[in-house]
Amino acid sequence: MNISITDLTFTYPSGVQALRGVSLILISGESVAIVGENGAGKTTLVKHFNGLLRPTGGTVHVGEWDTAAASVAKLASRVGYVFQNPDDQLFERSVIKEASFGPKNLGRSDAEAKEAAQKALAAVGLDQELDKHPYDLHLSQRKLLALAAVLAMHTPVIVLDEPTTGQDARGLARIGDIIEQLKAERRTVVTITHDIDFAAEHFERVIVMAKGQVQADGDAADVLARREILAAAEVEPPQLARLAQALGLPATPLTPEQFVKTLEATCPHPSS
Amino acid sequence: MISVRGFTYTYPAATAPSLQNIDLDVPAGQFLAVIGANGAGKSTLCYSLSGFVPDFYKGTVVGTIHVGERNLVQTPLAELAGEIGLVFANPFNQITGARFTVREELAFGLENLGLPREEMLPRIEEVLRLTGLDELAERSPYALSGGQQQRLAIASVMVMQPKLLVLDEPTSQLDPVGTREVFETLDALTNTGTTVVLAEHKLEWIAVHADRIILLDGGRIVHDGHPHDVLADPSLPAYGLAPTRYTQAARLAVTQGCVAEDRPLPVTLDEAVKFFTP
Amino acid sequence: MSNAFSLYAPRPSGLHRLHPLTMLAVVGFCLVAGLALPGPWGPYLVFLFVILPLAAWGQVLPNLLSSALKIALPFAISVFIIQGLFWTGGTPIAHLGPLSFKSEGLLFAAQSTGRILAVVGAFLLLSLTVRPDTLMIALDQRGAPKALTYIVLATIQIAPRFQAKANTILDAQRARGLETEGGIGRRVRALLPLVVPLVLGSIIDIEERAMSLEARAFSREGKKTSLLVLPDSAAQKAARVALLLAMAAAVAIGIWLRRAS
Repeated sequence: MNISITDLTFTYPSGVQALRGVSLILISGESVAIVGENGAGKTTLVKHFNGLLRPTGGTVHVGEWDTAAASVAKLASRVGYVFQNPDDQLFERSVIKEASFGPKNLGRSDAEAKEAAQKALAAVGLDQELDKHPYDLHLSQRKLLALAAVLAMHTPVIVLDEPTTGQDARGLARIGDIIEQLKAERRTVVTITHDIDFAAEHFERVIVMAKGQVQADGDAADVLARREILAAAEVEPPQLARLAQALGLPATPLTPEQFVKTLEATCPHPSS
Repeated sequence: MISVRGFTYTYPAATAPSLQNIDLDVPAGQFLAVIGANGAGKSTLCYSLSGFVPDFYKGTVVGTIHVGERNLVQTPLAELAGEIGLVFANPFNQITGARFTVREELAFGLENLGLPREEMLPRIEEVLRLTGLDELAERSPYALSGGQQQRLAIASVMVMQPKLLVLDEPTSQLDPVGTREVFETLDALTNTGTTVVLAEHKLEWIAVHADRIILLDGGRIVHDGHPHDVLADPSLPAYGLAPTRYTQAARLAVTQGCVAEDRPLPVTLDEAVKFFTP
Repeated sequence: MSNAFSLYAPRPSGLHRLHPLTMLAVVGFCLVAGLALPGPWGPYLVFLFVILPLAAWGQVLPNLLSSALKIALPFAISVFIIQGLFWTGGTPIAHLGPLSFKSEGLLFAAQSTGRILAVVGAFLLLSLTVRPDTLMIALDQRGAPKALTYIVLATIQIAPRFQAKANTILDAQRARGLETEGGIGRRVRALLPLVVPLVLGSIIDIEERAMSLEARAFSREGKKTSLLVLPDSAAQKAARVALLLAMAAAVAIGIWLRRAS
């Protein structure tokens, strides 16, 4: 299921023009990270994918559906959206009920919904807390619960808005594993993130936004090597990219393994 | 400046203590970072060092905490009156909402302290300059970016001239620009001699800015030392943390024999450049 | 600033320079006189000869007139029609088809409209010429409970954000497939997922805000000072006393006039 965006412009009722002409196609199964400073238009853009915002100009299609003509609840069957603040959506008395809410809304039976919820909760590591009240969990666990609640909906496209804020290394590893699993299932994963290292490690495609327009769009390794564009968009390059550039290495490594490989190529003492 | 002895604390509804037998001495003017997995006790330690535990949260306490001459465990919050500043992650909830400009917002704490107006004015100007908010002094606090609001939160407690400033994950909701602004402000503060205790996840930032790091696990201090020692220690992942990518790359390079083994691992960009330059 | 001061209109006028409590006294007088003096002419006197001239002095006459008429006109039309046509046992003075306008009903409608104009005009005068925080600070300085003034001011600034939070929650739940349009049953089921996060989220916010206020010495015992200086004068103090006396006089005159008729 592709998402095609054509000449998208959007102006808020207050008069702020948040998107000034964006054209993109997100191909089914891609993993895309959208980066840029606050106010660049990232959230405004992804809110068009599930109809929370309708274009002021241009069109957005999810598969064959024009989002201007489809309701948010209908689009929710194709595009799952995990909001940044979990407390904006948690309302049930137990973790398992919360995670079953989404699938039930999409028409699954109680039994199907519960099963989907349990699988999703196991993936985020909350399978021991099924009957707990969501607000008895730590904030970072509530974030994982919100993620599970959307995972359980089994949508072909998932949008994650700042999934890593407040997470410790274990939480980051879990979310990383989930993203790899979603990629393996050929589901489209779109994230907005300030954690550029996380984006570099898990996302194939990086889109840099600034001032309501796309500044760069392509393979992670290519885009993250473009220092001037990143600087102009107030995006820090990933740690290893900065290190490689400082050492004058030829490629842009995205993981420690890639870095060492790049290093070995120029290493005076090759590994045994 | 800070002296903690045998401090154990249990929240009211909890079955196990959140902090166990903490012994800690912090000299004046130090920039101390507190790291640890979620649930390890970072926030509880922050609340304890700022007097909110036990006064605000109730619960049971064993041991003592002394900040300056104050015995925190026996001092109600109302008496502390701004001697210890606390800043936390959500910038929006730290704006009082009762003042309509940044300058007046800064005055709020001083008004509560009963400071004469003539003394307020120079202090406010000084803090506006120190935190880089001078050009925003007439703006509404709600018209600021997240990073600016967080700087305002820091400035609002700094203007009360606390001996100690405690921050609980102040950058977790900020973008990189906002994170940079907060750390620049903290640097400016430690230069004025304020003691800073910062709980933080972004290890690559505290590697550069902190004087000392303590690592919490299960409510106990399991490591305490210079950033080099703590962040390059191979046991870090066992406590639920990941070293910076610089350290990870260096460790991998050593195990694969690309670099000699005997050198200390880098934790910052500068150290990594030196490490990998033949 | 535009959110917090939705009505406040800064002007370089003498009226704006008055101490907030003086304005409060003026507005209080308008309210009391407008309601105490017998109608239908009483409230109109206050509106035309007290409120409007003050608004002109404060250079906010156009704002006040347009807002007052916007509020009063729909009310006036409906009350004239309803009371005029359906006043029981009155004297008819004009006919509209099978129905007739009764003079008592029209008089009552005129008096009600007058009172609305006086009350709305008084509040508008206050809102247009006094910055809300200066009024609260003036009350603070006179010893009003700090918690009360804090709540009024914080509500003014935080209420719009509350609305924004409610909208975000609505978006988040719709994004999980919640239907909000449709029959009564559906709308009622949609209430819980919308209200619970709002309430629980607000409780968390309140706790954090309370901690933040503590860190700013809000609970400290002892005298508090103020950054804002509100210029006052002996003349204004005297005027405030005079206005209080005038309020009492208006009530007395109103009672006497009613007794006399």
